[in-house]
Amino acid sequence: MATEGGGKEMNEIKTQFTTREGLYKLLPHSEYSRPNRVPFNSQGSNPVRVSFVNLNDQSGNGDRLCFNVGRELYFYIYKGVRKRQPVVLQIKSQIYSSLLKKKAADLSKPIDKRIYKGTQPTCHDFNHLTATAESVSLLVGFSAGQVQLIDPIKKETSKLFNEENSCQHLWKVDWNEERENEGSKTSEEALVTVQRLIDKSRVTCVRWVPGSESLFLVAHSSGSTYLYNVEHACGTTAPHYQLLKQGESFAVHTCKSKSTRNPLLKWTVGEGALNEFAFSPDGKFLACVSQDGFLRVFNFDSVELHGTMKSYFGGLLCVCWSPDGKYIVTGGEDDLVTVWSFVDCRVIARGHGHKSWVSVVAFDPYTTSVEESDPMEFSGSDEDFQDLLHFGRDRANSTQSRLSKRNSTESRPVSVTYRFGSVGQDTQLCLWDLTEDILFPHQPLSRARTHTNVMNATSPPAGSTGNSVPTAGNAAPPPLPRSNSLPHSAGSGAGGKGGVADGAVASGVSKFATLSLHDRKDRHHEKDHKRNHSMGHISSKSSDKLNLVTKARTDPAKTLGTPLCPRMEDVPLLEPLVCKKIAHERLTVLVFLEDCVVTACQEGFVCTWGRPGKVPAEPFSCSQEGRMQGVLQDQD
Amino acid sequence: MEILMTVSKFASICTMGANASALEKEIGPEQFPVNEHYFGLVNFGNTCYCNSVLQALYFCRPFREKVLAYKSQPRKKESLLTCLADLFHSIATQKKKVGVIPPKKFITRLRKENELFDNYMQQDAHEFLNYLLNTIADILQEERKQEKQNGRLPNGNIDSENNSTADPTWVHEIFQGTLTNETRCLTCETISSKDEDFLDLSVDVEQNTSITHCLRGFSNTETLCSEYKYYCEECRSKQEAHKRMKVKKLPMILALHLKRFKYMDQLHRYTKLSYRVVFPLELRLFNTSGDATNPDRMYDLVAVVVHCGSGPNRGHYIAIVKSHDFWLLFDDDIVEKIDAQAIEEFYGLTSDISKNSESGYILFYQSRD
Repeated sequence: MATEGGGKEMNEIKTQFTTREGLYKLLPHSEYSRPNRVPFNSQGSNPVRVSFVNLNDQSGNGDRLCFNVGRELYFYIYKGVRKRQPVVLQIKSQIYSSLLKKKAADLSKPIDKRIYKGTQPTCHDFNHLTATAESVSLLVGFSAGQVQLIDPIKKETSKLFNEENSCQHLWKVDWNEERENEGSKTSEEALVTVQRLIDKSRVTCVRWVPGSESLFLVAHSSGSTYLYNVEHACGTTAPHYQLLKQGESFAVHTCKSKSTRNPLLKWTVGEGALNEFAFSPDGKFLACVSQDGFLRVFNFDSVELHGTMKSYFGGLLCVCWSPDGKYIVTGGEDDLVTVWSFVDCRVIARGHGHKSWVSVVAFDPYTTSVEESDPMEFSGSDEDFQDLLHFGRDRANSTQSRLSKRNSTESRPVSVTYRFGSVGQDTQLCLWDLTEDILFPHQPLSRARTHTNVMNATSPPAGSTGNSVPTAGNAAPPPLPRSNSLPHSAGSGAGGKGGVADGAVASGVSKFATLSLHDRKDRHHEKDHKRNHSMGHISSKSSDKLNLVTKARTDPAKTLGTPLCPRMEDVPLLEPLVCKKIAHERLTVLVFLEDCVVTACQEGFVCTWGRPGKVPAEPFSCSQEGRMQGVLQDQD
Repeated sequence: MEILMTVSKFASICTMGANASALEKEIGPEQFPVNEHYFGLVNFGNTCYCNSVLQALYFCRPFREKVLAYKSQPRKKESLLTCLADLFHSIATQKKKVGVIPPKKFITRLRKENELFDNYMQQDAHEFLNYLLNTIADILQEERKQEKQNGRLPNGNIDSENNSTADPTWVHEIFQGTLTNETRCLTCETISSKDEDFLDLSVDVEQNTSITHCLRGFSNTETLCSEYKYYCEECRSKQEAHKRMKVKKLPMILALHLKRFKYMDQLHRYTKLSYRVVFPLELRLFNTSGDATNPDRMYDLVAVVVHCGSGPNRGHYIAIVKSHDFWLLFDDDIVEKIDAQAIEEFYGLTSDISKNSESGYILFYQSRD
């Protein structure tokens, strides 16, 4: 019956797929889900989300993941692909199970698990700066508007926001000890339904402010976003707001009170729910997507609107930045992914591949590359690959240096390729390549388009900033022109004068990205201070950045044909290089990690896809084969 | 049977009193739109298919305005249209802002005019919508013809009389769009295109898709072969051909019918496809033809007829409508204000096991310009 209804569309769920760089394979032993697979109605519950953190504990097993399903929240050790995880449940032998007991406990049992009453977790975020083997700071947003700060390692609930009367004493905390019987002992936390003075609507997105140990931003379905500091209290009275800055379609208020209290700032952006926001890789800009179909990009510190974009139609549901901060990709209810240039403030491409709404978009920093267009050069051994990807661990910063890097001094054109992925309510995963011909349309079409193999790129010297080496002619677009004729359009590939100039620009842009973790930390301590105690750096004048383009925005219906929302025929339409149905339920998570891709669906299954050459079961032969397929694919 | 029904009707009207004032309170006196009335419709025994469509049409503003304008014209012989006009007029002129109205005259007339609806069975809301719109169009065309024959129109000559049936009425002005049917003969490559008008589009549904995808599917190229070969005028014989239908003229109100009832050959009955098909509040069409006059029209969702249950001849229909800036749910005599986010509940089910769902069945999108 079911098959008949769906016809040919009821195609099988894929467990592997091949791209040019090779074979991606689902790792069945690395699947995470709620331990008790009780019948679960995914209808009407909040999207499953996954957050990762690395504890920097030298053990090599420092990855942790957190995910929410229904009213539950889980915290696990994340194995990824690094070690083959035996499925102990199926191994009856006592010797084996005793030998593997420790490992088994990791996967089959969460480190921490919480069940909430009266409210559901909707989103969460780890603080990557403060994470240690002993303690992590995890923010959790809830369907009724609260935000909780918990430490799933210490098993503490340290703070609660937007839930006054500080009713923490009412919480029943009962941690699951080393019990065999899963689920019988859990921490049940009743978030008592008292007045929430700041915002009663669902939390849609929560994130730590990049580089900060104490500031975080919380978006709600009401359309408001609040800046909190974990050190401050929320107060027992409703906050009084004072207008700080107002612009077309947004307003920012400070909280007026004698003592500093939360929220520090209230951002009101657009109409309807603010569905997701994302900080730029340097932490300076904030991209927000709303139910009203607009992407709005702000300078976070100065509260200035940098640019806007309108969906073709319907709400925008997700947003992400390219690793170098030059492009933003959104996904939404028009079933499209839209690529927007941060520098030019315009749509440069749309992509059609999904059969329903796009729920997550994410760049793959490890497959975003600069490379030569000679397909025959397969220099990449697994070691090279490892090296290449290794130092990209920390927030994809290395990608930037690779991007601005020239890997050959020959006159052969170099191809810049950004890889991004998207998952949607259609249960499909799509992968997209953003190639030179799309990024720089005035350039003669480069055949490099079909060769995205990361192995092809030679590894740049570690630690290189890219400043000294002139990059390829078109590795980075100059940030100035809004005109369509890019100055470097002619004479591409010649590493001449223009190339040097562009290289300088690129390294300028990339400067932040090559900062080490320590640099970031130090710098942001200072920043924290500034953000907490003075708003003086925010000019209260109406934003002068609001140019004519943003004014035309007022009537969304009239945006069509303007740079805010070009007609379909006026921008390139991308096709996905991979478009596979990979789940039964709608997909809600897509994360690109160093050696794997992580997806999750509404049913709460968190799946790991080993990257080419990273599948432990068939160490080399498989990936080799994958690559060969990739090559063959390139020929047609 | 009759008595029982009356009792339950009475009971529901009584509870309705409380509900109605609750609705008024929820919206608030300040926010309550001026000159707007939210009235539930009494169910006369499985007439929810009719109630839900009437409510949806009432909140298609251009349609409501034309019906009310018709009411203000000189009195005419009773027809389905006069009954509809009386009903709409009665809602629009109520002293109270919320309440319940029995659409008795309309239902009686409907049952009298069409034996299909002359029973207490659950009917297909889409079939009813089709019947209603076509009947109104016929009535209007007939009236126009009469007027011409009576010489009321000065230039009522024979020529225009012949054309009168093709004259668009306001039903056509509101709901009619044009499809262009392109057929390309695979032998001689000749493309022939034929236009046809529509009052609504019926689209096939698939699991975990969007209405956008279903509309794309509607315009997918299909190959005519074997027994379905196409007679090519050029080749003067039956040939294999590619056929596709694209929207050439976009209507003011785009009514989309989701084909959720599928005939199962082995079961000898219809079954419901409860697939989750999402529909956005804003919509543009991708499946327009190259020569379309208004391909970029932006549509806003204004009403949805929802089918609840597992099959066409059982279950229940309700309507969700947008009025001013909020959404209302009309369940026969019950009217509730709902959150726009609650519309999510009417997309359908992702699980194939259950056929029983509350899922969008007819979507009404109104053009923004």
